Amino acid sequence: MISGIDATVYDPRSLPSNDNVNAYAFCIDLDGEWFTSKGAMIAYYGSIEFSGVAAFASRAAWVAARFSSPLYAMEWVVAAGRGKLVIGDRGNDINSYDLDDGNLTIRQTNLLAFETGLELKQSIIPGFVTLLGTGKFLASSNGPVIFVEPPFRADPDALLGWADCPSPSVHYDYHWMAASLAAGVHSMFGRESGEERQYDFTGAGTVLLQSSEDVREDPALVRLVESHTFLLSAAAAGVLGHKLVARSQEG
Amino acid sequence: MTFEVVNKKVVRAQVSQQSPVLARRGAMLGYTGQVTFRPLSRSAGGGGAYGTGESASMMASEGSGSVLYGHKGLYVSVIELTGDSLTVEADRLLAYDASLQTSVEMIAQGGVRAAVRGVATGQGMYTTRISGHGSVAVLSHGGTFPLQITGETVGVDPQAYVGHVGALNVDLKASVGMRDLVGRGSGEAFQLHVSGHGTVYVQASEKRF
Repeated sequence: MISGIDATVYDPRSLPSNDNVNAYAFCIDLDGEWFTSKGAMIAYYGSIEFSGVAAFASRAAWVAARFSSPLYAMEWVVAAGRGKLVIGDRGNDINSYDLDDGNLTIRQTNLLAFETGLELKQSIIPGFVTLLGTGKFLASSNGPVIFVEPPFRADPDALLGWADCPSPSVHYDYHWMAASLAAGVHSMFGRESGEERQYDFTGAGTVLLQSSEDVREDPALVRLVESHTFLLSAAAAGVLGHKLVARSQEG
Repeated sequence: MTFEVVNKKVVRAQVSQQSPVLARRGAMLGYTGQVTFRPLSRSAGGGGAYGTGESASMMASEGSGSVLYGHKGLYVSVIELTGDSLTVEADRLLAYDASLQTSVEMIAQGGVRAAVRGVATGQGMYTTRISGHGSVAVLSHGGTFPLQITGETVGVDPQAYVGHVGALNVDLKASVGMRDLVGRGSGEAFQLHVSGHGTVYVQASEKRF
C-alpha cells in the first residue's frame, strides 16, 4: 500500500479518458490511429502498434494526405490499435487542444500527438508546423501556456504557436537597430540585450507562449536549413559550402 | 508599479515612460505596446560590481506597454519593498523596478568568517542589496516561502537560502565533525543561522543556482 498526497493507483479502467493524468502526462483513449512524435509514449495498456510514418504509409494511403511534411517524417510514428496510451515529454506541462475546422501553427518540437482528422503541414516559419481541420492534439510547454491576443511581440524561443492570426513578421529592437545601423552589425558583439529579435503578431487571433525561453533542439534543423539552399545557384551553393567548411574548422 | 503574477513561472510588468523596469538579459518572453530593450553596461549592482562576480547581465525595458518575464522555467516570487531592503544574489534577479536602488556589498562585515561563508555556500563574497519602494521578481527552484523571524534564530541550508528582507544577521555555522570529514555526515555540515527581525526567503530545493 502506498500512502502519500497523490498515490492514486491507476488501471486501464480508472485511467482518465482523453484527459490529463496530471499536469505532465496525458492519457489517450486509442481506438484507431493517432500520430505521435517519437519518444512521446511513456506507457500503454492494450494492443497498440507503433510504426514509423513512412512504414505505416506503405500500408495506408491516407497517411500521405494527412502528414504533409517530408522534413519531419523521421520524427513521427503512427500508434494504431486499441487501448490506453499515456503521453509525456520529460516533465514539461502537457495540454490538449481541440480544433474545429480551424488552423493552428505550433513549434514542431512541442507537438506530441494529433488525431488523424487533422492535417499536418510545414509552416513558412522554420521549425513550426501547421495543423488544419477538426480534431484533438497534444502539445508540451516548459511551464504553463500563456494565451495572449495580438498586437503582441514574442521572444522567438518563448513562442509556442499561434491560431487564426497571420504568420508573424520579424521585429528588431529600436536600440539595437539604431546602433547597428550606426556601427555595423559586426561590431555589435557583446552589446545585445538578448531581445533584439522578436516575432511581431498583428490581426485577430491567439498567440500561445510557454513560461520559459528554453527550447529543445530541433532534430530536423540541419535538414531544415539545407532545404532552403535550393534557392541558391550551383555557384552560390559552392561559395556557401566553402564558408561553412571554414567555420567548422575554426571551432 | 507592482508585478502581476501570470503563473508560478511568469510575471507581467507594466512599463511606462516614468517607470522603466530592469530585467535579466534575455528573460523577456513577449510584450504588447511600444517597448524597447537596452542592454546595460553596468550590472545589477551598479558600477562597482566588476570583479566581484556579482554581475548578472541586465537590460532596461523602456517605453510603454506590458512585458512578460520568465527564465528557464524557474519559479518566480514577487517581493514588494516598502522602504526596506532585500539582500539577494544578483543571478536570482529576474526583474525589478528601475526606481529601486541597488548596491553590491560584502557578505556581512565579518572578515574571515564572511569569506568562509561565501566560499562554503558557493555564493561568493559579495551579494546585492536592493532598497526603496517597488517590486522585485526573484528566481528560485521550486518556489520560495517566507520565514518570519521576530527575535529568534532559524537555521537554513545554504543552498536553499534565497535572500532576506529586514535587519537580519546571517551567520555561517559549521558543525564539521569526524563523520563529515570521512564523508559519512548528515550532509548538513554547514548551516546559515539567521537571526533578528525580518523575513528570510527559502526555496523548496537544495539545487544549486
